Amino acid sequence: MITAERKPLAEIKELIAPYRKVLVVGCGSCVAECAAGGEKEVGLLASALRMDARRAGRDLEIKELTLDRQCVYEFIDQLTEFIDQYEAVLSLGCGAGVQAVAEVFPKAIVLPALNTTFVGETKEAGLWIERCRGCGDCKLGFFAAVCPITNCAKGLFNGPCGGSQEGRCEVDPDTPCAWQLIITRLEESGRLDCLEKIYPPADWSRQQGRGPRRIIREDQKL
Amino acid sequence: MDQKKAGSRITIFFCQRIDVDQDVNRRPLEKELGPRIRFFPVPCSGRIEPLHLLRALEAGADKVYVVTCPEGACRYREGNIRAKKRLAYAQGLIEEIGLAKGRLELIRVPAGTQTTIVELARKLLAQEAIVGPMPPDEPGQQKQRRQI
Repeated sequence: MITAERKPLAEIKELIAPYRKVLVVGCGSCVAECAAGGEKEVGLLASALRMDARRAGRDLEIKELTLDRQCVYEFIDQLTEFIDQYEAVLSLGCGAGVQAVAEVFPKAIVLPALNTTFVGETKEAGLWIERCRGCGDCKLGFFAAVCPITNCAKGLFNGPCGGSQEGRCEVDPDTPCAWQLIITRLEESGRLDCLEKIYPPADWSRQQGRGPRRIIREDQKL
Repeated sequence: MDQKKAGSRITIFFCQRIDVDQDVNRRPLEKELGPRIRFFPVPCSGRIEPLHLLRALEAGADKVYVVTCPEGACRYREGNIRAKKRLAYAQGLIEEIGLAKGRLELIRVPAGTQTTIVELARKLLAQEAIVGPMPPDEPGQQKQRRQI
């Protein structure tokens, strides 16, 4: 899932300062899971902004709405009947959601309320950890499902740096050493021979340097 | 009660286990004080979310209390612990818009205490006001509207 965090309120207030009628739109998918942009968070933010406007003596009308997904046209289309009534859209979607709404409604002013952070997992309630950098060349099969790009602070592909202490990374002692974990798992599953291969540096041209990446599936098109 | 406290509006979210007869006990006080007091009984204080607290402030409460069971005595083990964390989160949020965090307060009923929600509410109302009333709408200011 994509994770995000709400921007500081001061920043959001500055973004919506010129507008008196704002549509606050959440997303019921990834950002709801990480408690940043779901229905509850829309309600919280809208309530805080209304109270702030009241204290400052400003007019502010807010409509709250949460789409199941903010990155899919069929859901974004639900905004069509009333989006024109609002001066700005404050989106609690991830970066993809904000841009998707802006593409469907190019005349609308769409503003982000979140800072999108990483692709990660819900490790436990209230804790999300980055797990994937979207490199486009997944080698998890060779590293016992532990990504060295994301989990190793140094991004090493060919064995530990030797600096870990008691299984903890020397760069960030709060983080387990990825290579400790890789080797332990490979050993337990009888796949230590995976370490005999030398892995070249990641091909980052798959991830960056060419503008937005695309996936096209003709069999999925209508 | 001084003028500042006389008009104070408080909202009390509370765990129903604190006063098993709360449904009957609180009615006379609600009738006496009218809109100045609002009670929200919940099956466990862990049910309360920051959104409830902010909506209570937005609806006009000058102060919002969350009353929980004693430490270690939550029927659902950690509901009162969650209530404390969520109240703290809501306090952070209201501080970002310039409201004093004291407008939201957690009250943990001491262990072994036998009280009714009405006795507790009267004590809270009688306390020195540490926060003033919420600012009223400015004259001519269009009323904030919430649309879902």
